[in-house]
Amino acid sequence: MPTTKPNPKFAEELSKLNKKLNFMSVINSSANGKSLFSVKDNLCVKGFESRAGSKILSGYIPPFNATAVQRMLDSGYEFVGKTVMDEFGFGSFGTNTDIVAKNPFDETRVAGGSSSGAAVATAVIKNHVAIAESTGGSISNPASFCGVVGFTPTYGTISRYGLIDYANSLDKVGVMGRRAADIRAAFDRIKGADNYDSTCSDSKISSTPTKKLMIIEQLMKGIDSKVLSSFDLLLSKMQGMGYKVEHASLDIIDKAIPAYYIISMAEASTNLAKYDGYKYGEQGKDFTKKYNDFFCDARSSFGIEAKRRIVLGTFVRSASVKDKYYIKALKFRTALTSKLSSILKDSFLISPTMPTVAPKIDEAAGLSLIKAYSMDSLTIPPNLSGLPHISFPCGYANGMPIGAQLISSHFNDYALLDFVESWEKSFKYEFKYNL
Amino acid sequence: MKIGLEVHVALPTKSKLFCACSTDATEPNSSICPICMGFPGSKPMLNRAALDYASNVSRTLGCMPAQMVSFVRKVYFYPDLPKSYQITQLQEPVGVDGSVEISSKKVKIRRIQLEEDPAKIIRESGYTLMDFNRSGIPLLEIVTEPDIASEEELREFLGELRSILYYVGINIEKELKVDLNISLSKARVEVKNVTGIRNLVDAANYEIKRQTELTSKGKEVVQETRSYNEAEVRTESSREKESDEEYGFIFEPDLTSYKLPSSNAKVVLASKVAREYSRKYGAKEKTILELIQFDRESYALMDHAKDKAEMQKIIAVIELLKKYESTGIGNEKFEELLEIAKSGAQINAELIKKVKSGQRVETSSVNLQSIDKEITTMIKNHKELLKEYEKNPKAFNFIVGEVAAKLKANPRDVAIRLRAVLEKGFKD
Ligand SMILES: [Zn+2]
Repeated sequence: MPTTKPNPKFAEELSKLNKKLNFMSVINSSANGKSLFSVKDNLCVKGFESRAGSKILSGYIPPFNATAVQRMLDSGYEFVGKTVMDEFGFGSFGTNTDIVAKNPFDETRVAGGSSSGAAVATAVIKNHVAIAESTGGSISNPASFCGVVGFTPTYGTISRYGLIDYANSLDKVGVMGRRAADIRAAFDRIKGADNYDSTCSDSKISSTPTKKLMIIEQLMKGIDSKVLSSFDLLLSKMQGMGYKVEHASLDIIDKAIPAYYIISMAEASTNLAKYDGYKYGEQGKDFTKKYNDFFCDARSSFGIEAKRRIVLGTFVRSASVKDKYYIKALKFRTALTSKLSSILKDSFLISPTMPTVAPKIDEAAGLSLIKAYSMDSLTIPPNLSGLPHISFPCGYANGMPIGAQLISSHFNDYALLDFVESWEKSFKYEFKYNL
Repeated sequence: MKIGLEVHVALPTKSKLFCACSTDATEPNSSICPICMGFPGSKPMLNRAALDYASNVSRTLGCMPAQMVSFVRKVYFYPDLPKSYQITQLQEPVGVDGSVEISSKKVKIRRIQLEEDPAKIIRESGYTLMDFNRSGIPLLEIVTEPDIASEEELREFLGELRSILYYVGINIEKELKVDLNISLSKARVEVKNVTGIRNLVDAANYEIKRQTELTSKGKEVVQETRSYNEAEVRTESSREKESDEEYGFIFEPDLTSYKLPSSNAKVVLASKVAREYSRKYGAKEKTILELIQFDRESYALMDHAKDKAEMQKIIAVIELLKKYESTGIGNEKFEELLEIAKSGAQINAELIKKVKSGQRVETSSVNLQSIDKEITTMIKNHKELLKEYEKNPKAFNFIVGEVAAKLKANPRDVAIRLRAVLEKGFKD
């Protein structure tokens, strides 16, 4: 746990910087700068507005803490604020919401998504870890764009209780930090079985090392040249440290993106069904209306991406096409997981985290849907298969950070943290702010 | 005619299906939490006690034992459904392919499944109230094949099913909620949400009449969903809420798969027991069934019968206990009552009360008088022998034996009377 002397002016300084970079929706004004943790807006913090970046949850003050939040508080960490995100986690740039976080390295660029605020908070606050969440790459992506370490553990190692669901079978609570050691400390405090989450277990987390780094050829298409040269530099350094780099071909991996979007949208469309404007969050006003009309009124508050995913998700699980889409995607997930697991038996998988550096905010807005969804091509496979992965800064191009992503087998999470800790001995991360 | 039923019964667990909220709150909205209210961030946790009940019903109905059970989300939009989806079962239900035997046939059970109850809607004039106490109460849905072919079969089936549920420990005082499928020809008509047995039979009869009339007039019966209007004793066409296409079932990703708990609880089928006892002891099957169909205690008492005569006495005593509404007598006291009955004494409310409270019970006065009379005669004839009766147990027992044999009385009763008479006589 990082500790320093308290700074009485901390909350004030944080608010000032937040006005510039838009990374927090709620700031805990009593936070004074020692052993801090921020919480992604889709994790419930008792007494603080938690709206998962959505207008429809405006004013929702959860009556309970998410398990991960409670365990951080019980361990003596101090809650610093809620970090902004794409609405319900639907996005790769942090732009699908009302508060768009800016990249601390270049304010005209995005911070990534969907845990945009969590990555910026980590990049600007010294003694801090961010509790974030990844469904298809929402930790790796912004960690890479903002030059911090982002760790997504094996599915089911950290309780999801208190997480406002995107896609329950894919959602994983994870941690971002400035050093792997900070992440490890927080991970050790929040992991483990929980009476309130049936999918979370006490499985033993191992630390089995390997000296083999595997690259899947199909994933190296369409990667920006600056990112590639930085990644190649990383590989040669690793070879210098005794690692062997090998290549594998895995044809089916091209289907990971459609399978991911089918499963995640199917689940998301059921999770979003509950927002009807009369129990919590934004309140419907006209109770004289018929339920269907009242319901439709309330749901006009969803952003365009949320509406799109409700419509597509409802379609792929409807009876007449369910086998063709939803069931097929589930079968693909099982097949991919077994293929990846066999590769990971004696090696790590390694790749750049994102195909580019953080795009400009207006560039991101202009991307076609297919292009935007394809930005996740490198982060989706481990997320779809519930595999632990970590993104860490491996270079800089024109002042923008570049991240690499390492994947290990189920429950071998410590091996990833060990790897990055040893990387940090020879590579210094850059930060523009140190609150 | 073909009738199929979907019977919903609430399971008597202490807490709800997916949270720790109590199931027996009365004050509206007093037993609710983030889970059964579907608050963002909450997750369900399966109540294993509900799975135990479901497993026992499954076994009693002779279903194929499920390897694993899992849950799905059934999505529809209605204000009583806090998450806008119901957690229910589809691919791996608690049980499939069971049956309920009635006198004319076996009614096949297609499936039984666990699911959560929605909240209660209370419609007032001009406004609607919601009570979420019911949200998340465990329900067991029992789906039959359309094997029921008459009102008699319907009644018998319901009696049998309720008896089965009773013996598994499910409270049948709460009314059953039933969806009724009924078809006289091709078109299948579904009558949704009929509460209580009387309404169900009335709804079925109404539909039989309505469909028969339509057919006889050469009109076609429309395949549709109808609702039952209790006040007017008729079914009415209702707009179909949702189809399977729109429910869009997906696996419930917040729950895992669960092994169905095994159980060695005794399976009791009251009608089978009645048939067996009737064959064995010659008593009327219907009489026995009426006594034990919804009465665990009477069933346990009958278990003691050794022969035909005793069974008759047992049945007589149980009927008297029922007549005087006396429950919970227990084995020992029942035996005592049975002995009294065997001695020929009249059993009435007062006597039952005495036996239950553990008081000494003298057998009936007519009987006592004849015992006393015989004892007096014997004493006269054996004066010498009885002079020192306290020191001479042989003499005492001799008299008891003689009197008991002669009157076919209970030796214990004779002994009590003899001692009383002798004491009285010597004091005089
Ligand atoms: Zn509850």
